[in-house]
Amino acid sequence: MSEDFEMSEEERDLLAGEYALGLLEGEERARAAALAAADPDFRRRAARWSGRLAPLLDEVEAVSPPVHLWTRIERRLSPAAAAGSNVHILRRKVNLWRGYSAAATALAASLALFLVARPADRTAPPPPPPPIAAEPLVAMMSSEGSAAKLVASFDPDRKSLIVAPAAGVESVPGHAHELWLIPADGKPRSMGIVAPGAPRRMAVAPPMLKELKADATLALSVEQTGGSPSGRPTGPVIASGKLIRT
Amino acid sequence: MDPIMDRPAGANFVSEEGRRLAGTLSDVANGDTAAMARLYERTSGKLFGICLRILGSEAEAEEALQETFVTVWRKAAAFDQGKASAVTWLAVLARNKAIDRLRGRRPGTDAGLDAAADIADSGASALDLLEDAQESRRLSACLDELEPRTGEAIRAAFIGGASYPDLAAREGVPLGTMKSWVRRGLLRLRGCLER
Repeated sequence: MSEDFEMSEEERDLLAGEYALGLLEGEERARAAALAAADPDFRRRAARWSGRLAPLLDEVEAVSPPVHLWTRIERRLSPAAAAGSNVHILRRKVNLWRGYSAAATALAASLALFLVARPADRTAPPPPPPPIAAEPLVAMMSSEGSAAKLVASFDPDRKSLIVAPAAGVESVPGHAHELWLIPADGKPRSMGIVAPGAPRRMAVAPPMLKELKADATLALSVEQTGGSPSGRPTGPVIASGKLIRT
Repeated sequence: MDPIMDRPAGANFVSEEGRRLAGTLSDVANGDTAAMARLYERTSGKLFGICLRILGSEAEAEEALQETFVTVWRKAAAFDQGKASAVTWLAVLARNKAIDRLRGRRPGTDAGLDAAADIADSGASALDLLEDAQESRRLSACLDELEPRTGEAIRAAFIGGASYPDLAAREGVPLGTMKSWVRRGLLRLRGCLER
């Protein structure tokens, strides 16, 4: 056979097809793989062949994988993303909290430590203050007369807020739960909609970052689906809490 | 939750649910593990089925499925919903992981098919044609225009993981014969799909 670079366009396309279909074995496959690694045009051709035949995969019956598999996969998701580990710790702590919902205050302190404490932070010398002195913060949100409890934790490295509903945030048809940040000036800023159930990482927009400080308040209100149209909270506040340093 | 990939063949994947799946993928790209759990819940059955069909062993299929989801976690950002349907991207990714495993590629030794799938969405409109039932029907019609044994060989390769030597042994023909059947078939198929 001629060298790769002497192949006609048709030969190249056929080889890409044979490679994409998995028809090749051994040396032929290795040669095609090397070509794919080196040549974007060849990769595109192979991808196009996969695309042409992909509808065939519709025919394949779904089979439930064994239950333990997700746990194994989940373990491999971190430390690739710190998001993962934080949310996991958070979820575990939230479960703990559900179990001991009465002892909120004492637990708040320990949760706060668990949530954002990273060993590196304890041993490393304090870094010079960045332009925006973002720091890890946590808020335990609840309200008298309401069953809703949430834990919110601000991750300054990833500029995001992890919000974990612990209890009492149920989905109500036609309504949504909107999270508000109320800084020292007392004007609520919407941080977005909180989904009931799972902990969620919410990106914090840059203008909001400088408002995310200790002693600012986070509050959750019930609004119409899609959130308050006026940009101000209109429904009842079912949980709130002050952000504290961890 | 409704596993959207369990729907019958030919279902239209560019649906509300398909879009929701694309949205879930973009949450995954942002490092949202809860979204990852949702994605797994909704797609793992279909993807496991694909891996199992190719590898024929539960243990091997589990490994391939793991690799698939770990890759999804790392590469979700590369998925571009303008170019490929989320379902197609995931299904092709799982299939390629299974094929790479079947052909004994050691991780990291060469650019396996999974690399080709990653590139799929950067390459123009490689995967954008097959998003609906119409494309599925068109592919079936074009495969049906081929010699039955050739159409069967192409199917067996793509969804069953059969190689040239496997196919030649199955049909009891020399390797060279099988290759020329399939190559001719691929050219006709390409022509038919581009008509």
